[in-house]
Amino acid sequence: MRFLRPLGFVATGFILAMSPLIARAATQPVKPVVSATYADPGQPDISGLWVVTGAMYFAPDRTVPKLQGEYQALYERRTQAFKAGVAVDDMTADCLPAGLPHLLIVPYPFEIVQTPGRVLFLYEYDSAVRRVPLGVAVPAHPDEDTATYNGDSYGHWDGDTLVIETVNIRGDTQLDFSGVPHSDALHVTERLRRKDATTLEDQITLTDPKAYAEPFTVTRLYRTRPKWKISEYVCEENNRNKTDEQGHTRSGVSRAKPE
Amino acid sequence: MRSFSVSSWRVRWIGLGLAIGGASVPHYASAHHSFAMYDSTRPITIEGVVKEVQWTNPHVWIEVMVPNAAGGQDQWSIECTSVNFMTRRGFSKRTIKPGDKISLTLSPLKDGSHGGAFRSVNSLNGAPLALEPQD
Repeated sequence: MRFLRPLGFVATGFILAMSPLIARAATQPVKPVVSATYADPGQPDISGLWVVTGAMYFAPDRTVPKLQGEYQALYERRTQAFKAGVAVDDMTADCLPAGLPHLLIVPYPFEIVQTPGRVLFLYEYDSAVRRVPLGVAVPAHPDEDTATYNGDSYGHWDGDTLVIETVNIRGDTQLDFSGVPHSDALHVTERLRRKDATTLEDQITLTDPKAYAEPFTVTRLYRTRPKWKISEYVCEENNRNKTDEQGHTRSGVSRAKPE
Repeated sequence: MRSFSVSSWRVRWIGLGLAIGGASVPHYASAHHSFAMYDSTRPITIEGVVKEVQWTNPHVWIEVMVPNAAGGQDQWSIECTSVNFMTRRGFSKRTIKPGDKISLTLSPLKDGSHGGAFRSVNSLNGAPLALEPQD
């Protein structure tokens, strides 16, 4: 629909110029010529329904951040457990949120809605929502007492790129299902732009002075799925994979479906 | 090679994934929990009769009764992806029904119990399954 936008501007100009002659017509509702999720002509259009491409590892090539200290030890413990068939500390098994930045790579579609001053990310997974205000400064000292799964995001446009800084993220989520840890000092910087008509690119940089020796950058691509729609996803409906007393996720073959 | 208490024609290893180092094995679009418990490098095929389909989130489950070597039956629990994903792959709530004779390929549980992660349906009531995935 992007190519139709200039037509929209031309049509609007024509109507304004001819308004004395077609005053009645101008009072009729004008059918929007841009997508329903794009309502701020002041922003580049990244709206629409997108889904991540590539592997479910945070980095498709399976590289991981340069972990240090206890975080390296934690990752090694999780890796050994994984090989033995046990997931450790996997909160998603109990239907808790994946959290940021894991949410950026879950293979479910999400919709970007652009409104003046704000960009909304509406995820199918967990029905999560991210609200990104534009032009609001990132707090110098985020309140650690208010840390959340997805943190607090702040955005601004840098040319055709939406830059999103996210802080105040809980330290107990994982980058992906392979168990890569991060700390509560994690700062996520996204550089999001429309690479071409059907591709969205997100260059994601993780800075975490507690857990990582250096910043870690991954570029993920998302493709449009114009025929898809976001559906409901309620994890608590029939979760047969709850963790045990040790926090381990095992086979999940309890078989019984809760009534 | 591990052995199962079921006759070999009903449960057989597929060597292809091993032969090429697992390169062709898809990574599951699960996104609810880790699939650490499943061995995606050793897909197996089971044949049996569907006992129950739980068309639910976070994951769809197919319970299959599979004849075993002792002349009895084992209940296999097959964990699929979500309703959302199965729908986009072309499945509906009624594609697979109790009583259907099914052959399906799965990634088995590493602990050897009767279950696995769903990969594909080879046949349903003797015929290949024609699905129309959403594009």
